Amino acid sequence: MDISGADLIRAACFLGAGIAMGLGAIGPGVGEGFVGGKACEAIGRNPDEAGLLTRTMLVAQAVSESTGIYSLVVALLLIFVV
Amino acid sequence: MEEIGSVPQWVFNIAGHQMVLNKETLIMTWIVMAFWVLFALLATKTTKLVPNPLQSAAELLVGTWDDLVKDSLDLSDRRYFPFICTIFLLFWISDMLGVIPFLSEPTKDINTTLSLGVMGFIVAHYSGIKFKGFKRYLKDYCEPIFFMMPLNIIGELAKVISISFRLFGNMMGGSIIILVVSYLIYSLVLPPVLYAFFGLFIGTIQAFVFTMLTLVYISVQIK
Repeated sequence: MDISGADLIRAACFLGAGIAMGLGAIGPGVGEGFVGGKACEAIGRNPDEAGLLTRTMLVAQAVSESTGIYSLVVALLLIFVV
Repeated sequence: MEEIGSVPQWVFNIAGHQMVLNKETLIMTWIVMAFWVLFALLATKTTKLVPNPLQSAAELLVGTWDDLVKDSLDLSDRRYFPFICTIFLLFWISDMLGVIPFLSEPTKDINTTLSLGVMGFIVAHYSGIKFKGFKRYLKDYCEPIFFMMPLNIIGELAKVISISFRLFGNMMGGSIIILVVSYLIYSLVLPPVLYAFFGLFIGTIQAFVFTMLTLVYISVQIK
């Protein structure tokens, strides 16, 4: 069985997509967990402000999610475009 | 599974130049616009002091955004409120459109989100020049010291890429996850739950985040 250059490029694309997604998911995971934990602490200390805190928490988590989304876009480009 | 990478397009030639229109994105954006025009017509047909359900929904939406814009901009008039509220309404229904069968989200296309992101960027910088004057606007680029200017310019450009790719990546990733899971389990139980999660929940949050970030960029420029 011959392995040509195109096969190697395809294999490298899949490998790169997996590595990009796996490593890129570490940062948002840690960040979103930190934000959620802090929001829980704040709600426990001040339950009247729960609505405002939840809204702020969701926005902050969506912002910190963006690096994970970048790695998702890179992985999709590697799989479907290259 | 073949339809993941492909985009349905209309291609036609005008005076020797090739024009490409993304068919699905155009049709779905027009559906969203038609929905809001219809909603506005129905909600304001009979405005009373005691509102009917449609009118109170419209008042709730507009009132919430009015308060948010007032809180973050501190202006006496409402000059940025229509722009901000329109961005939210457009992206909100756009993100939720994938829940309905045979329709798809126009925000799955990078062109939609990037054009709205560039629009917010232009509005923010135009109002920065208008409020602070051209000299102070230029001076803010050399903020700590003079040779930090390239970094500040790249930082401003990265904001556009950041907000548009965030919305696009969320919607595209959600629809691909739904497609892959539906293919694996022959569309048995999970797809409606996934559509509800990615379309209704994530879509609403991302539309809110896009609008709030545009608002924050404007308020950073005019203060």
